[in-house]
Amino acid sequence: MAKASEVKEKMTIDRRNMLKALVGGCATASLTGCLVREQEPGAKGWVPQQYDAPSSWPPQVRGRVPIDPENPSIARDDRKCVLCGQCIEVCKKIQTVYGSYALPVKDDFICIHCGQCTLWCPTGAIVEADDRTRVLQALKDPTKVVIVQTAPSTRVGLGEEFGMPGGSWVEGQQVAALRRLGFSRVFDTNFAADLTIMEEGSELIERLTGKSEAPLPQLTSCCPGWVKFVEYYYPEWMPNLSTAKSPQQMLGAVLKTYYAKKTGIDPRTIFSVSVMPCTAKKFESVRPEFNAAGRYWKNDALRDIDAVLTVRELALMMKEAGLDFSSLPEESYDSLLGEGSGAALIFGSTGGVMEAAVRTAYHAVTGQKAPTLAFNLAPVRGLSGVKEASMDVPGYGKVRVAVAHGLHNARTLLDRVKAGTARYDFIEVMSCPGGCIGGGGMPRSSVPPADDVRRSRIRSLQIKDAAGTLRESHENQEVKELYRSFLGRPLSHLSHQLLHTDYVSRAKHLKVDPQALEEILAGQVTEASRS
Amino acid sequence: MNGSNAVLVDLTQCVGCGSCTVACKLWNGKHYDKGAPATGLHPVADHSNWTTLTQRKAEKDGAPAWRFVKAQCMHCEEPACVSSCMSKAMRKTEQGPVVYRPDLCAGCRYCMMACPFEVPKYEWGKVIPSVSKCQMCSTRLAHGRSPACTDACPTGALRFGRRQELLGIAHDKLKTGRYVNKVYGEREAGGTSWLYISDIPFGQLGFKANVTSESLPAIAEHYMRKTPALLLGGAALFMGLSKLIQRKKAVAAAKEGKREQ
Ligand code: SF4
Ligand code: SF4
Ligand code: SF4
Ligand code: SF4
Repeated sequence: MAKASEVKEKMTIDRRNMLKALVGGCATASLTGCLVREQEPGAKGWVPQQYDAPSSWPPQVRGRVPIDPENPSIARDDRKCVLCGQCIEVCKKIQTVYGSYALPVKDDFICIHCGQCTLWCPTGAIVEADDRTRVLQALKDPTKVVIVQTAPSTRVGLGEEFGMPGGSWVEGQQVAALRRLGFSRVFDTNFAADLTIMEEGSELIERLTGKSEAPLPQLTSCCPGWVKFVEYYYPEWMPNLSTAKSPQQMLGAVLKTYYAKKTGIDPRTIFSVSVMPCTAKKFESVRPEFNAAGRYWKNDALRDIDAVLTVRELALMMKEAGLDFSSLPEESYDSLLGEGSGAALIFGSTGGVMEAAVRTAYHAVTGQKAPTLAFNLAPVRGLSGVKEASMDVPGYGKVRVAVAHGLHNARTLLDRVKAGTARYDFIEVMSCPGGCIGGGGMPRSSVPPADDVRRSRIRSLQIKDAAGTLRESHENQEVKELYRSFLGRPLSHLSHQLLHTDYVSRAKHLKVDPQALEEILAGQVTEASRS
Repeated sequence: MNGSNAVLVDLTQCVGCGSCTVACKLWNGKHYDKGAPATGLHPVADHSNWTTLTQRKAEKDGAPAWRFVKAQCMHCEEPACVSSCMSKAMRKTEQGPVVYRPDLCAGCRYCMMACPFEVPKYEWGKVIPSVSKCQMCSTRLAHGRSPACTDACPTGALRFGRRQELLGIAHDKLKTGRYVNKVYGEREAGGTSWLYISDIPFGQLGFKANVTSESLPAIAEHYMRKTPALLLGGAALFMGLSKLIQRKKAVAAAKEGKREQ
C-alpha cells in the first residue's frame, strides 16, 4: 500500500496527455506538456480565514448559522460564504438564538428572521429572500393596482444606498422614486403606527385599569422577530404581548377593506407591497393568520400584505430602473392612509414606541396633553441595552416602563422581571440593536453595523419629530377619519377583527439548553470552548 | 489500519448549516452548480459535490425529528475501488484516505461499479473526464491537519482523530442510551474510516443497511466478471497503449535530462 509521504514529485504520464499523444503522436510529447508531475485531484483551494499551518487547535474557520432553504426572510449564496462565523457571532451573542437550543434539533431551523446576519456577513453571502421579482411582475400586470407603504426608518436609510451620509432624510425622494417605479399609491406606515398606538395604548389603559384581564406588563408586539422569539422561548408571556398587530399588518388590513371600499377599488385587484427596514416583516406577512381582509370579504386568497421589500431591495430596483436619485423631487404621500405623526416616526428607533405610547396614553387617561418630558423621553432614548423610566399619570399613579433592543438585552430584562427583581407596566422590545433603524433590511453602511450609523439615523428621526407640529398619534386626522367613518373606536368589534391578532407557541420546535444559554448571557462562550 | 485517521460523525450534533460542504468546495476548488445543490432535501452527489448534506425529515418517539446526513467517500479499510482498479489509480494510504490519482486512471470506471456506497463519480461533462471523489483531504492530513470539513464544523458534529480512539469515544457515547446501538462504519464493508453514530435507526436516514461486513475485493471481482468482454477488451487496449506511451515517455524524459528536476 502506498504511503501518502510517497507522493513525491515523480514524473509520469496522465491520461489526458496519453490521449493527446494518441491523436497527435508523441514525438512532441515534451513540447505539448506530456511530462507532468504526479497529481491528486482537489486540494487546489484555500480556506479563507485560516492560518495555514498544522495545529491541533480549532482553526479560525468558525462555520456558519443554519438557514432553512425555505426561510421566507433570508437566503444564502454558498458561493460567497467564507465560513468566517460572523453570522454565528451575531446570532448567538447579540440575539441569543444560535446555540441556545439543545441538540439534536427537533423539526425547525431556529430563526427569528431578524436578518442581523445579513448585516454582519462580510461577503454579502446572506441576503434577504427575494421579493423583488414578484413585485416587478405585479408592476407589469395591468390588472393589478400596486400600492406601497413605507416604514418610518426607510426614509433615513435609503439615501445611504446612493452615497449619502448616514441617516440622510430622503422621505420625499423615496415617495417620488416609488411613483416612478410604477406604484399607483404611496402610503405611509407611519399612518398605521399612529393607528397601532391608538389600539395598543387603549389596550394598555384597559390592562392598567383592570378593565381587561390580560396581565401586566404589556409587551409591545410590533416587531415580528421579537414576537417569534416570545413564541419560541417565552410562550408563558404570550398573554402579555399586546394583541395589536404591527403597523405593516394594520395598514395591509385597512387597505383592502376601508380604503378599497372608500375608493371603490376591487380588493382582489390590489397588490399590497411594503418597504421595510426589516427581513422579519417578510416572515410576518406570510403568517397564515394575516388575511384579515380575506376574512372580511370572505375570500381566503386575499392576503393583507402581498410582498415585502427591504430598503436594499428598493434601492436595487431604483438602480436597475436607472433612476437618478439626486434629481428626484420631494413628493408627498397619498391621502387617506398617508398622514403620520412625529410619534409614529420615532417608532423607527429604540424607545420610540414607548415614547409615542406615553404621549397618547397620558392624554387618554387625563384628557390633557402629556408633559414636555414625554416629548423627549430621555431615559428611553439612546443606545444603552436596557432602559427604564417612570411617569406620574394623574388619576392613575406611577407608570413604569422599560425598553430593550437586541434580544440578548431582552432576555436579560425579561429574566429580571420573571425573577421579580423588577416590575414594569409596559415593556418595549425591538429585536434589532438600535431598533428598526438598525434593522436587517437596512443598507449595509458599515459591516458589522456601527453605533455611529445607528445614531445618525436615530438623530434624523428625532429632529424631524421635534420640528413637526403633529407629534401625537391621537391627533392624526386621517386616523380620526378612519375611526369616524369605519372602525368606530379603538378596540371596537371591527377593530378587533382587522387590527388585532393572537399568538402561537413554538416551544415544541426546540428544547432550550439552559446551561448553554447561561454561558451565552454571561458572555463567556468562545468557539474554542466547544467540546 | 487501526492507527490510521478517521472521522466520527455524530448525527445528533449536526444543525444542518452546510459549512462542511462549503469548506470542501473551498479547499478543493470545486465549482457550484445551481442545478446540483450540495445540501437540502435532494442534494446531488457528483464530481463537484464530493460531500453532500441531506436533510431527512424522520420521526422519533412519534414526533417529527429532522436530521442532516453528511455523505462522502467512506474511505474503507479494505476498499473495493482499490482492488477493482487495474492501473493503481485508487490507493489506500497508511494515513487513512483512499486517494484517487487521475494521472494513473485508465478511465475504465470499475471503481464506480465496485464501490458499495456508490461514491466515485465521473466528470461526464468533460471532454477528457476523470473519476472524482472525496480524498479525505489527504494533502492536509499529510501536513498534520484535519480535513477541511471537520475544521469548519461549528458544532463538533465532525470529529477527526485516530480510528481506534474514535471507536472508543463512539462506544462510550452509545452507553448513554441516547443513540441506537451501532457505529456505522465499524464493520460495514470491512470497516471504514468514516464512522457514524445516530439516535435514529440508520435505515431511516438513508444509510445502506445491506452492506456486507466482509471486505469487498471478492465482490469487486464478481462485478468485473460481469462486465462485458468488449469493455474489458477496450480497457486492455487502453492499458497496452498506456504502457507503450510510458516507455516512449521514459525515453523522452531521458533525452530531456534534468530539465524537470
Ligand atoms: S435572521 Fe436573525 S435569528 Fe435568523 S439566523 Fe440571522 S441572525 Fe439568526
Ligand atoms: S457571515 Fe457570511 S461569509 Fe461568514 S460564515 Fe456567515 S454566511 Fe458565511
Ligand atoms: S474530507 Fe476533504 S475531500 Fe472529503 S468531504 Fe471532507 S473536505 Fe471534502
Ligand atoms: S458543518 Fe457540522 S453542523 Fe454544519 S452541516 Fe456539516 S456536520 Fe452538520
